[in-house]
Amino acid sequence: MDESERDQSALTKPDSYEAAVERLEEIIDRLDSGQAGLRETLDLCKEGRELVGYCAGELDEVGAGLKELRLDDLAAKLETPEVS
Amino acid sequence: MEESRLSPQSAPPGVPGPFAVGRYARKLQGWMRERKRVQLIGEVTGVGRSKVQAYFELRDSEGAIPCAIWLNDLEKAGLDERSLRDGAEVVISGGLDYYPGGGAASPNFCFRATHVRLAGEGDLIARLEALRKQLRSEGLFELQKQLHRPLLPKAIGVVTAETGAARRDLCAGLERRGWGGSVVWAFAPVQDRHAAPAIGRALQDLAARPEVEAIVVTRGGGSLADLWAFCDETLCRTVAMLRVPVVSAVGHERDSTLIDDVAAVACSTPTHAAEAAVPLDCLAARGSLERCALALRRAGEGAIGTRSRHLSALARGPERALQRERSALNQKIREIRAAAERGLSDRSAKQRRIGTVVLERARRRAVGADMEKRRDALKRAAVALRAHEPERTLERGYALVEDPAGEPLTSASEAGAAERISLRFSDGRVRARPERVDEA
Repeated sequence: MDESERDQSALTKPDSYEAAVERLEEIIDRLDSGQAGLRETLDLCKEGRELVGYCAGELDEVGAGLKELRLDDLAAKLETPEVS
Repeated sequence: MEESRLSPQSAPPGVPGPFAVGRYARKLQGWMRERKRVQLIGEVTGVGRSKVQAYFELRDSEGAIPCAIWLNDLEKAGLDERSLRDGAEVVISGGLDYYPGGGAASPNFCFRATHVRLAGEGDLIARLEALRKQLRSEGLFELQKQLHRPLLPKAIGVVTAETGAARRDLCAGLERRGWGGSVVWAFAPVQDRHAAPAIGRALQDLAARPEVEAIVVTRGGGSLADLWAFCDETLCRTVAMLRVPVVSAVGHERDSTLIDDVAAVACSTPTHAAEAAVPLDCLAARGSLERCALALRRAGEGAIGTRSRHLSALARGPERALQRERSALNQKIREIRAAAERGLSDRSAKQRRIGTVVLERARRRAVGADMEKRRDALKRAAVALRAHEPERTLERGYALVEDPAGEPLTSASEAGAAERISLRFSDGRVRARPERVDEA
């Protein structure tokens, strides 16, 4: 994988919240080390912002309050033909 | 009639008989009574009584056997009739029996119990340990534990009783973690012989829903007999084979049921189950995410700001140096110009003074003597005077040596003694430092 492909794959949507958080920690560690050059720093910051946005979105999905459903009701919906 | 066709009176080949059914029934009775005597444990249902015996079914989730016990044997067992009731968990001893019936009486099979007692904790524990050993040896305790449990599920399924504290406590636990996803409730009985099959069906239905990422099974505390449904072998095998992680929160900390062994995680309380079902503390995670965002912003701004300031400082250096040199040069030019102008104005003033004196003397002579002669003499003097103007001399290629104050230096020794001298040419001035004096 060349550098451009690696860069592209790094910016694609994470597989899961866990994967996103793990990558964020790697980025923060790299930035804190002070060893990243200017280009790398800017790229990492951009990727980090995207990951933060993704994680925030995931948390927002479960942030509004418990939504309670009954299995019986869900099964009944499946069995009842939709009225057009 | 064709030979290949069987007549209605022919028996299928290889089947012995026909035998008299009564004789067969008696032999069957004898055969069954010879079967080994065993103890059975299960739940009593359908209790009935005649004058001489009590009859009932002994059941569990997988099957049942019709049972009968002579009332005399029941009395000998020390169990009163009230104890042998529907729902009682009992241990019976006995063996298979068959009543052939009679001319008018119907035959029936049954398990003839000769002794019965209420099932104690020890009986159930023994059964539980045997099941544990069996399922562990099959590797069923490990399957669920190898499943990935998502850190932040969007939807979880819950199997529990519709009423009771477990449901309320689980919701409270989820809310404390700041989690507000979807809870799919599958209500089921959590006690008696109906519980295990119902719980098993609910688990399978929840696991079949694609959005459900984890399942919690929970009920409050009780005796081992109360929790016995969660030790059901079929239920526990079902849990072990599910592809969705199951969190078990049955009973209290001291209770241990078989479902705890096969589940992905065993918890002692519904609150603990909420943490296991949603491992991420969402409230803390939101704070941590904000700190990440701040760190990234600072890193980005710092990287650019630091380098930009450094570049600006570097860029200003040459310009400053150049500005300094330019200022110094301009100053020198101003000094040269000022000195030149001062020198010229001094020379002009001096020359004007000399000229004025000469002209005055000439005028006086012209006035005191012959006017014509004196005018001619005056003219000749003026011409001679102009010939001696320094500018005429400079135009001829000579240079006028002056000190820094503009005073002419007329000898080599005077020039040599001066630290700096100025050489005035017709077209400008040169500053110089004398090196040495060479005698003529």
